Amino acid sequence: MATTEERIRKLVDDNLEIEGRTAGTPLHPEYSLRDSGVSSVAFVAFAKLVADEFGVTFSPEDCAKYNTVGELITRLEG
Amino acid sequence: MAGEVAVTHVDLAPHPAREASALAWLDEVELARRERYHSGPRRCFVLCRAALRSLLCAELGCRNQQLRFQESEYGKPFALVDGQPASIGFNVSHSGSHGLIACAPRGRLGIDVEEIAPPRHLESLIEAVMGPQEQAELSRMSGDAQLRQFFRLWTCKEALIKALGTGFSTDISRFQVPAGLRQGASSGVFRFEQMPGVAWQLDDIGSAEFAAALARELLPAESGLS
Repeated sequence: MATTEERIRKLVDDNLEIEGRTAGTPLHPEYSLRDSGVSSVAFVAFAKLVADEFGVTFSPEDCAKYNTVGELITRLEG
Repeated sequence: MAGEVAVTHVDLAPHPAREASALAWLDEVELARRERYHSGPRRCFVLCRAALRSLLCAELGCRNQQLRFQESEYGKPFALVDGQPASIGFNVSHSGSHGLIACAPRGRLGIDVEEIAPPRHLESLIEAVMGPQEQAELSRMSGDAQLRQFFRLWTCKEALIKALGTGFSTDISRFQVPAGLRQGASSGVFRFEQMPGVAWQLDDIGSAEFAAALARELLPAESGLS
C-alpha cells in the first residue's frame, strides 16, 4: 500500500509543474510547495485533488497552512 | 493609474545584471527568505521586492535602510519606516515574467496577475472556485474564450481577497464578480455579503499577455455611504 508521501508525490508529479523537480523522486519533509513557484490557481486545484484523494475536507487555506510536505503528511495522517 | 492607485509593471524575465543590482536593495531578513525559494520564484521575489522598495522610498521620502516589512496574520505584508507602520497601501503579484505592484496613499489594495495558461482539470477548478452564475456562464463558453474568462474572474476574486487581507481563508466560490464585469465591463463596484458597508472598486487591468485585476477599498465619500 502506498504511503501518504507516495500518494502526495504522485499528485504533485501528475498535476504540478515545478521547476527543477524530477518526477518520482521522494519529496523531502521540508519541501514547500509555496516556495517552489506553484501558482495560486494550481495551488487551489491541488487542494481539491488532495481532498479527493484522501477523502477529507481540505481547503486552499489548509494547503497554505500546512506549508511543508512534512506538515501536510502529519495533517493527513492525524 | 486606476483612481489614486499607481500600478507598476516589473519585468521578471531572467536578467543576471538586473537581478544582481536588485539584490543590493534587500535587507538581511529578505536575503534569508530568498534562500528558501527555488530559482524561478527566487528571481521573482528579488526583483519584485527591490522594485517595491524603490517605489515606497520614493512615495514615503525615506531611505531604503529605514524600510522594513512585516506580515499580517494571513500573510499580507505591510511596510514599516523606522519601526513605525507607514501610511501607504500596496500589494504585489507575479506570474511568469510579469510582476505588478499597486501602490496608493490610502485604503486597502489587492492586485493579482496570472499568465493565461490552461490549468489541468479546468472544469473541476471552475466548479471549485466559481459561484453558480459564474459557472453557468463559463459552461456556455469553450476554448480560448472560456479560458480567458476563467482567468479574468479568478484575478478579480484573488484581488478582492488580497485587498481584504484574508487570503484563501475566504472561500472564493462564495462570492461572485459583479455582473457588469462578468459581461465584459472593465470596472465595477463590489461588496462582500458579510460586510455590505464596505465597497471595493474592482478594475480589470489585464492585457493580451496576462489577466490581471485591481481591487481598491472605496472611502465612504466615494462609495456613497458617507
